[in-house]
Amino acid sequence: MANHRNNRRGRHKVVKTVLIYLFTIIAVIFFIFPIYWLVATSLKTRAQAFSTPPLFVWEPTFRNFIDIFLKRQTEIEAITGQELELATGAETFFYNSFVVTFSSIIIATVIGVFAAYSFSRYKPAGTNTLMFFILSTRMLPAIVVAIPIYFFYRSLGLYNTYIGLILLYTMFNLPFAVWMMKSFFDEVPRDIEQAALVDGSNPVKVFYKIALPQVLVGLGATIGFLIINVWNEFLFALLLTERATRTVPVMIAGTRGEVGINWGLIAAIETLYILPALVLIFVLQRFLLRGMTFGTVRGAK
Amino acid sequence: MTRVEIRGLKKSFGAVEALRGVNLEVESGALVALLGPTGAGKTTLLKCIAGVEEPDAGDILFDGQSVLRTPAWRRDVAMFFQTYALYPHMSVYDNIAYPLRERKWSRQDIDRSVKAVAEKLRIAHLLDRKDPSTLSGGEMQRVALARTLVRNPKVFLLDEPISNLDAKLREEMRTEFKRLHRELKQTIIYATPDFLEAFAVAEKVAVIKDGVILQYDTPMNLLRRPKNRFVATFIGSPTINIMRGVIRRVAHGWEFSTTGLKIQLSNIGASSKLLDGSEVELAVRPQDIVLEASKNGNAFKAKILAAERLGYETIVTLSLGEVELKAVTKGMRSYKYGDEVTINIPGDRVILFDVSSGEAMY
Ligand SMILES: Nc1ncnc2c1ncn2[C@@H]1O[C@H](COP(=O)(O)OP(=O)(O)O)[C@@H](O)[C@H]1O
Ligand SMILES: [Mg+2]
Repeated sequence: MANHRNNRRGRHKVVKTVLIYLFTIIAVIFFIFPIYWLVATSLKTRAQAFSTPPLFVWEPTFRNFIDIFLKRQTEIEAITGQELELATGAETFFYNSFVVTFSSIIIATVIGVFAAYSFSRYKPAGTNTLMFFILSTRMLPAIVVAIPIYFFYRSLGLYNTYIGLILLYTMFNLPFAVWMMKSFFDEVPRDIEQAALVDGSNPVKVFYKIALPQVLVGLGATIGFLIINVWNEFLFALLLTERATRTVPVMIAGTRGEVGINWGLIAAIETLYILPALVLIFVLQRFLLRGMTFGTVRGAK
Repeated sequence: MTRVEIRGLKKSFGAVEALRGVNLEVESGALVALLGPTGAGKTTLLKCIAGVEEPDAGDILFDGQSVLRTPAWRRDVAMFFQTYALYPHMSVYDNIAYPLRERKWSRQDIDRSVKAVAEKLRIAHLLDRKDPSTLSGGEMQRVALARTLVRNPKVFLLDEPISNLDAKLREEMRTEFKRLHRELKQTIIYATPDFLEAFAVAEKVAVIKDGVILQYDTPMNLLRRPKNRFVATFIGSPTINIMRGVIRRVAHGWEFSTTGLKIQLSNIGASSKLLDGSEVELAVRPQDIVLEASKNGNAFKAKILAAERLGYETIVTLSLGEVELKAVTKGMRSYKYGDEVTINIPGDRVILFDVSSGEAMY
């Protein structure tokens, strides 16, 4: 009798485990499949990409990856005599994306960290109002500010410049940087900083020797978020750049093949484009998880 | 050695008045205890002295010089934080060495001092530990104490330095502090909510409550001549007995009476400003009540309600008519519920309090 019950419970447990794994696998496939299909397409020839039914077994080709870098846009234009958006010479666009992302992240992080620390520690008059004001700049739909910024940039000569995009993305990211970093600084116990003051450190030393090391995880999470924000931005990059400063997302959207749309080529660019983001998420996943839950963690206290 | 004076110190946090005009003088080289319940303002006062909180009003003087304009990092005090406030990203060694490194000591001097203080506090084996958050409570406390004691400042401020330790270690540390004070000969202000601890370490104790120092006196005076009802009840265990009644002038002095009970008061002088027939509270310490038949004055028949036998002494709860009293008697006595005993309340050991103000009347 007891044995029978034990068996039943044992079988129950097995079924439960199997179900859990089944659902996990389905969920993972659901999220991974588009990425798989993207990478697969980038390794197919044009004909293979269009074949019906879809090909699941084929001989992979790296032609697309070579093409996007090797063919020069200008050469092709010289031949065809017209300005084309071609998925070629991709390194310029990747370079643009890197420059813009890297610069704006550095500026936003540095300013954001200092601002957040001041708000958290010194609580200047009107801190709450100011913090709300900072966040409110992110509440307008982007499309609403896009047109004024376009004309504004045109008249200031910021249109189609690195500086223009970098400034814009810095401004975009600052509210996130300030809010996230403030919440991490708020968690550093005051007593620790006061102990350091009594131990002989002036406030500047307290900041970089005591406070900053406590929030490194939060800083990692914040930087991760900011990078993804900028790396994926499309609308403003589309409005404010021409070929010289164009970033990858805009380039992908505008890509045409020499004849019609070459999906293999586009997939190759996209594969390279999501690669840094994937690597980043993988490296920073511990930080990002903490960053995403920071609101709930604090709320529970 | 530094003499510390605090004059009319006030500090509010929003609507909360943490300090409401604190006056205190600590002689150079003295160990003074700051005794008060949680929320009394002990931590706030120490932080003001350390310079990490800025007082709203009043002055703090070291050897007669105001230090209000000296920032914390140049004020040269050492403080033990109630929360330990260990630097989580530093090893135990680096935590203790931190104040010395900030003072640009040489590597050898730092090493010698850190090892010496670690030896003294018996944490030498912990110096290499990387992550202080993995230490036990007692170990963290001693590391924090080592970081405080490693240097030789003008004043030591210790905020409840042993309240989170277990009883045994606490007892050891109390003696340790007395010894440390004797060796260091430094001015020390020691905050604690435990009167036994305050009495054990300090020659003078400042009782603080709601941001005001109620009495600054020797332990003996705090016990025998408390200034008000709060000091009388906060100090002493079990809590002092308090009865409400009326005092009258009689042939040989004064007499206190409450329902079914009359106590002759022999410690009130004839010159006392007491008003005949006024309502008062009478307090008598459980240790002063004698559980024996005795001929002099105030003998009463009482009934035993309960007895707690604590080994060297027994705490007895008694009922005298409508009044309930606690008394402490030496040794292990076995009393049973309902036993009748004769008790004696010495008329020279009682304290009277004004009913409305709670001030003591002598
Ligand atoms: N940073 C602060 N912000 C607001 N209120 C505070 C702060 N620090 C202390 N208080 C308040 O001041 C009063 C005194 O606190 P404290 O000095 O910590 O007392 P103690 O150390 O005697 O327990 C308490 O009511 C406490 O809540
Ligand atoms: Mg405290």
